[in-house]
Amino acid sequence: MTSKNQKTIIIGLTIALIFVVVGVFCFSYAMETLDVKAEELGAEEKPVYEPPFPDYTIVGMENEWGALLIGIAGTLLLFVAGLGVAKLLKKKKS
Amino acid sequence: MHIPDGFLTISVIIPTFIITILFWAISVKKIKLTEKQVPIMGLLTALFFAAMMMNYPIIGGTTAHLLGGASLGLILGPFAGCISVTIILVLQAFLFGDGGLTALGANTLNMGIIGIFIPCIIFLAINKAFKIKSTTALYTTIFISALFSDVTAAVSAGIELGLSQPVFQYGLSVAVPTMAINHSIFGVAEGMVTIVLIATLLKLRPDVLEKSPILGKLWIFQNKKETTE
Repeated sequence: MTSKNQKTIIIGLTIALIFVVVGVFCFSYAMETLDVKAEELGAEEKPVYEPPFPDYTIVGMENEWGALLIGIAGTLLLFVAGLGVAKLLKKKKS
Repeated sequence: MHIPDGFLTISVIIPTFIITILFWAISVKKIKLTEKQVPIMGLLTALFFAAMMMNYPIIGGTTAHLLGGASLGLILGPFAGCISVTIILVLQAFLFGDGGLTALGANTLNMGIIGIFIPCIIFLAINKAFKIKSTTALYTTIFISALFSDVTAAVSAGIELGLSQPVFQYGLSVAVPTMAINHSIFGVAEGMVTIVLIATLLKLRPDVLEKSPILGKLWIFQNKKETTE
């Protein structure tokens, strides 16, 4: 990877982590339009699967710090996943 | 905008999955990434996962989050953009329960297909019709593309929910305008963010945008090609 790419990635991931911090501590707890309408109608979610980190929380650590850890780990995981899939698709084509 | 399990009827779940699987297959087949775009795809996938975690207040005590469809589509192209949003949605559903597994087809259709392809089509159509040749025209076009990305994705979600009676008794006449109005307000923010992101890349990493199937058609890059030829 070129140093130009490395610099772009470091800056981009820093911005992503700022999004996570601001999101966790300032904005995360208000409801989305869809949730509000569903609540008005009494429509209930019927999960078909139990996720390991429901609603971006760690079971037993349901606070902002847990959400922050999840956000940071999730962002890094998505970077690796996106990069991995992109590399795989690029390799398949060449 | 993530529809959970239990909100959609089977008559909506099946067709949305069929359309989505078709687009996944087309995207995998048609995707074209350059060496420089590979790390950028990883970066943008992570960036918009993080951005989706952040819910901004809009009206009536509700919130909305960035979709990133216009940014991903315009920078990486619609096929890579579709794959990128799919990665986000799949991991959100499986790890965090954000969006249901039965609604994965619908959520991908809304955010990863409509939210990606619509801004690309709008951008290309405007560029073809008016031959964008100034930064003002460029940023206006980006803004319009991003705004319509959010609105059409929200309308699509509204249609799916409206058709899912009796779960959503409101039906189409309420579900569609509610989603569209709230998300058009947020579409303005999406437009601004998309402009900032693309303007930053144009300044710092034009080499990444030069090979983009969408932004690579801009006059800046076409003139450069003509000069080198």
